[in-house]
Amino acid sequence: MKADLNKFPELNKTKFENRGKELRLGIPVINSVVIGNSIAVGFGDGTIRIFKAGQSSEPIKAHNGIVLCISKDGDDIITGGDDGRFLRISLNGEISEIANFGSRWVDHVTANNGSLVCTSGNNVYLWMAGRKEPRILEHESTIGGVAFDSKGRRLAVSRYGGVTLWKKDYSNKWKSSNLLWKGSHNKVIFSPDDRYLVTSMQENQLHFWRLKDKTDSTMSGYGAKVKSFAFVHDTKFLVTSGSNDAVCWPFDGIGPEGRQPICLPFVGNKLVTFVEPFPNENAIFTGLSDGSVFLSEIEKSSNTIIIRSFTESEVTTISVTEDGSSILIGDMAGNILWTSIWDEENK
Amino acid sequence: MDSNKQVPVTVLTGFLGAGKTTLLNRILTEQHGKKYAVIVNEFGEQGIDNDLVVDADEEVFEMNNGCICCTVRGDLIRILSGLMKRADKLDAIIVETTGLADPAPVAQTFFVDQDVADRTKLDAIVTVADAVHLSSQLTDHHEAEEQIAFADVVLLNKIDLVDESGLEAVKERIRKINPFAKIINTTKCGVSLNEILNLDAFSLKRVLEVEPDFLESDHDHEHDDDVTSLSFVSDTPLDMEKFQDWFSKLLQTKGQDILRTKGILDFTGESDRYVFQGVHMLMDASPMGKWPEGKVRSSRLVFIGRNLESMNLKEGFENCKSA
Repeated sequence: MKADLNKFPELNKTKFENRGKELRLGIPVINSVVIGNSIAVGFGDGTIRIFKAGQSSEPIKAHNGIVLCISKDGDDIITGGDDGRFLRISLNGEISEIANFGSRWVDHVTANNGSLVCTSGNNVYLWMAGRKEPRILEHESTIGGVAFDSKGRRLAVSRYGGVTLWKKDYSNKWKSSNLLWKGSHNKVIFSPDDRYLVTSMQENQLHFWRLKDKTDSTMSGYGAKVKSFAFVHDTKFLVTSGSNDAVCWPFDGIGPEGRQPICLPFVGNKLVTFVEPFPNENAIFTGLSDGSVFLSEIEKSSNTIIIRSFTESEVTTISVTEDGSSILIGDMAGNILWTSIWDEENK
Repeated sequence: MDSNKQVPVTVLTGFLGAGKTTLLNRILTEQHGKKYAVIVNEFGEQGIDNDLVVDADEEVFEMNNGCICCTVRGDLIRILSGLMKRADKLDAIIVETTGLADPAPVAQTFFVDQDVADRTKLDAIVTVADAVHLSSQLTDHHEAEEQIAFADVVLLNKIDLVDESGLEAVKERIRKINPFAKIINTTKCGVSLNEILNLDAFSLKRVLEVEPDFLESDHDHEHDDDVTSLSFVSDTPLDMEKFQDWFSKLLQTKGQDILRTKGILDFTGESDRYVFQGVHMLMDASPMGKWPEGKVRSSRLVFIGRNLESMNLKEGFENCKSA
């Protein structure tokens, strides 16, 4: 007897998939950003889509090649692409070009409190509020990531050999200091309370600095590069990808040194590729290399529910609207799920 | 990972003026209907005729992985990872390096970075050499030696500008540094593209197919090249434990001087052929099926590197033979 693949039974979908909107676009999903209760998604064909409750999302052609990075400046989307352009896009889809670097890629973009930043090669381009021309902050190697602190007074720039920390003094001049650690540093974030700075490295590990006394330490033991990490519930935990478990390091009180992380396991030993905190809860969404997504509380005996069943393509983004009502999931094969988190009766 | 889904990457090396840009433009104009990305480092005198040209910085990173000579190209990791997120699939990627670049970090990037290794594969290192100037470049610049040492193909260009004996001398010098490399004589880089693209030169299968161009042992030592090659053959089966012991210690202690290694090994009590190839301390090795019927089983091992004479390689190899 031969197996008839065409008659293979459809796997059960989750209730989140059944009630949500699913798109099969076939275009790699790069990243997404939350603006209020809308979510903007960047794609590998240079388009973005803006998802709003109850509305369909049309593609907006932003870049010629890939949307390499996406972030927000107030209520606007900001993007960088491999066409060398740094763009501002309104939630209505109007595009304006902030800068154009030609054949040089725009690798990272961010903004806070009126300051606008993009990076290209070794340089950070920083537009202060009301200024047309950017200040250029030079670094000795290509920039791996950028992040502002919560007030926008400090800018962390990760690179080969550590992090350059730029600080705005009271005369509004930017001065730099260095946080050094051997190796190449990629994504960088501040903790929500601004006490810690965390980077992921080319090696399968993370590094962090406690900023008040500049002590630092490494978080290692991962099977793959840690590409996704975020702080949960203010600064209680740092949740990380790069392992078969969602690894949650405690950052409350004395910090993670000498303490064990809580590891949330999933069935099937798939790699965790994306993690996203549930706003204002001690809980996380975890995306795996097979496309499945789970919601878990961070506790030793975790209560886990499945949000999306597998698509066989690694999860590349998860975003939750600010009010915590809806979630967007995207993967490398261009499958998108846009759905409400709460059942009707629980709203 | 399905190797069909990995985009092949061809690395083009060679000194400025050897003809890299000419070759690049030939590839791009002759391969109709194919989508290429070209990663360039220097803007030569001629432009590159392609819609997808990416600027790179030749940034060499040290890894913290305990491998003392392990350096990778950070810019390549960033650019290749970015290119793999494109919606349109690429047929191939070509990386052009500057004349002064060391090819080792480029090759090592494909061994060390998991994302790069999952989605792309190093197809071959093609070195374009100028038949007129190669000899003096080999004497003056260690980078020129490294580019020949790492090459899978040496495109010996501008042969119309040297006489026959000059051509033979330069070819012999190339063979002495690198007996695996296929040498192709050209003028103006006129070469059939299937001789330089889709070679899969870094796969273990190819190690079985390529017969190294072994030299007669008594050739003259006219030039004292820094980089040389040594090869060993044995019809006596090897003891696996002894070999692993010797070889891993050798790479750990001398890996910085050993640029490339390749080998096919016959171990006592094993029905499969063992094939390996390495770049410095990084090694890819696997059993590759049964020995062909009716053929003599023998072990062959080739080293390319510096100071090979001081490593007691012959003695070490002899000691691995089963008693």
